[in-house]
Amino acid sequence: MAEKPRLKIPKEAKKGEVIEIKTLLPHVMESGQRKDKDGKTIPRKIINKFACEFNGKLVFTANMDPAIAANPYMQFYAKVDESGTFKFTWTDDDGTITTAEEKITVS
Amino acid sequence: MRQLSRRDALALGASGAALTVTGWSTRASAAAKEAAEQIDKFTGGKTAAKGKVSIELPEIAENGNTVPLSVTVDAPMTADNYVSEILVVADGNPNPGVATFHLSPLSGKAEASTRIRLATTQNIIAVAKTSKGEFFTNQKLVKVTIGGCGG
Amino acid sequence: MTRGGILAGTAAIALLAGAAVLAGGLIVNAQSKKEAPLDTKGDASERPWKRYAGWPTRDESKYNTLGNLATQPAPKQPRKITGAIIGDAKKGAELVADRNRGGSCLACHVMGPAGGANLPGNVAPDLSEIGNAGREDEWLFNYIYDGRVYNPDTVMPPWGSHGFFNDQEINDMVAFLKTLKSPAAFKTELDDPSKRPAPVEKRDNLDPIENPGMWAVDKAQELWKQKSSAGFSCNTCHSDPQATFKTWAASMPKWEPRLNKVLGVEEFVTRHAKATTGANWLMETDDNLAMSVYLRFLANGTPIQVDTSSAEAKAAIDRGKELSQRKVGQLNMACTDCHGKVANHWIRGQWLGEPKGQYDHFPTWRTSLLKVWDIRQRFQWCQVNIRADELPPDAKEYGDLELYLASQNEGLKLSVPGIRH
Repeated sequence: MAEKPRLKIPKEAKKGEVIEIKTLLPHVMESGQRKDKDGKTIPRKIINKFACEFNGKLVFTANMDPAIAANPYMQFYAKVDESGTFKFTWTDDDGTITTAEEKITVS
Repeated sequence: MRQLSRRDALALGASGAALTVTGWSTRASAAAKEAAEQIDKFTGGKTAAKGKVSIELPEIAENGNTVPLSVTVDAPMTADNYVSEILVVADGNPNPGVATFHLSPLSGKAEASTRIRLATTQNIIAVAKTSKGEFFTNQKLVKVTIGGCGG
Repeated sequence: MTRGGILAGTAAIALLAGAAVLAGGLIVNAQSKKEAPLDTKGDASERPWKRYAGWPTRDESKYNTLGNLATQPAPKQPRKITGAIIGDAKKGAELVADRNRGGSCLACHVMGPAGGANLPGNVAPDLSEIGNAGREDEWLFNYIYDGRVYNPDTVMPPWGSHGFFNDQEINDMVAFLKTLKSPAAFKTELDDPSKRPAPVEKRDNLDPIENPGMWAVDKAQELWKQKSSAGFSCNTCHSDPQATFKTWAASMPKWEPRLNKVLGVEEFVTRHAKATTGANWLMETDDNLAMSVYLRFLANGTPIQVDTSSAEAKAAIDRGKELSQRKVGQLNMACTDCHGKVANHWIRGQWLGEPKGQYDHFPTWRTSLLKVWDIRQRFQWCQVNIRADELPPDAKEYGDLELYLASQNEGLKLSVPGIRH
């Protein structure tokens, strides 16, 4: 499937620098408000949680409601003191977990 | 990716022009009430002080399906003074909850941005909780544009 | 492999060999003077053409389309109204704001307190003080019923003669108009279309995190290498798309003598794929849209430069220009009404742009619909919204219209996929 999560993180940073992180996940974020052409409500199916860890420590989490738009976009900041790996986790209502990782060199 | 039909997209997030006058005001006040309840639960009944929180939203959203939102809190984000949570609610949506952001001193900056859905013109309210147990709040009105011919 | 399979395989190899011989090698230069193989037998979109799911399902066969003339001529005289009009102004206030009746008057007019003065448009005069303008009831009635009796060039839809409102409803609206005697009280400055600033598109449409439409590029790169059952992909002949198609899309659409019509990128993709790899990429499918985005993406930055000098191109552009001036649909509008006569105005809360600048970003991601739209679907939606039946996306009339539009966008650099509401 062509649609992969998009990540934007600097490849390098200085020790103690606060960097900006942008993420985008392809997902319809079915709100549970829509009806199909027969009038039946389409059940809710959204990403309800997004988490960002750095070297195993939690940096940022978002608990999400259906008011988050389709293709959920999250932009936030992280203070980096050492080189390592960012890990991103998206959790679907149905339990499916999508992850992505990105390394950064901190000097 | 599932394709949204035009009608579905409208049901999801266009103006509330299709609702009757009484229907709209009933739903609007129900949503506002629920939004207030969510805020109350978040603050444990405490009143949040107005300030320190700034909300960035377009004055007129081009549609209700994707509205860019940014919340920033003026806070040092040090180990002894940081924003731990930010609650965002929309007081005119059928379900007012939007998101709760959890931050830490590792965040470095108390700012989060996302894109949200709005059923109609309404207020977005953000409440920030600090590690010291304080609550700050702000709100902003977003107008969802009304389509011309439907294009 | 079955006998049939071997035969099919042989035929496919023969086809490829033929193409290779034509091109003088397996690497094909898109700019070479040899013709690209095209399937000329079938249609390039679904037949019978069915309107998209979720689009309005009105039957508008009584009115002009870009392919067919059907609309009755305008009345020759205004209708005689004897005596004062009796109407319910309160009902009239609701009717003028009712979007289900063809968009509502507020799409074009500010009308005092109607609709809460919530983002009215300014395509047409502000009627907030029309109650003081000394207009006769008969004049008010007929302007709504069919304004063409006073101004044959009017953009105003014929609300009565085209069946949007009955006589009593028009009476009610006239009664409401007569109450309008003071300027609209806008809640905010943004509601006032005369003060609302023109929108400026600031988003970086080529940033994959800003524009979900960029996923189409990824998808196309996969499709490019996707082998058909005969074992061929685009990559078989075009192994370096970035070099080969660096400017190609900017020269489209183009007159195609083998089909006797103007061919756009989307239709080209359908017919060329069918004739080479055998891939079935009908217009308006996700695969076709992805390929169409990608072929233009590869030419991003190239100024649009279409053939406007050959006899066929000139004739097509003339036809396209005429089509852009044809009044179509129950609302009786032409492209040149909104995007010419009243361009750079607000239609309710949306801005009407000029043709120049309306082509360089197609196909575009639509944030309101979470989908990529090509220019043909854009044409179709405009038509359905002014209550005209749309044509299939590969209609020759759309080709003429697209070439005309492209000629009005000459020199603008491609920037695809776009991002719009």
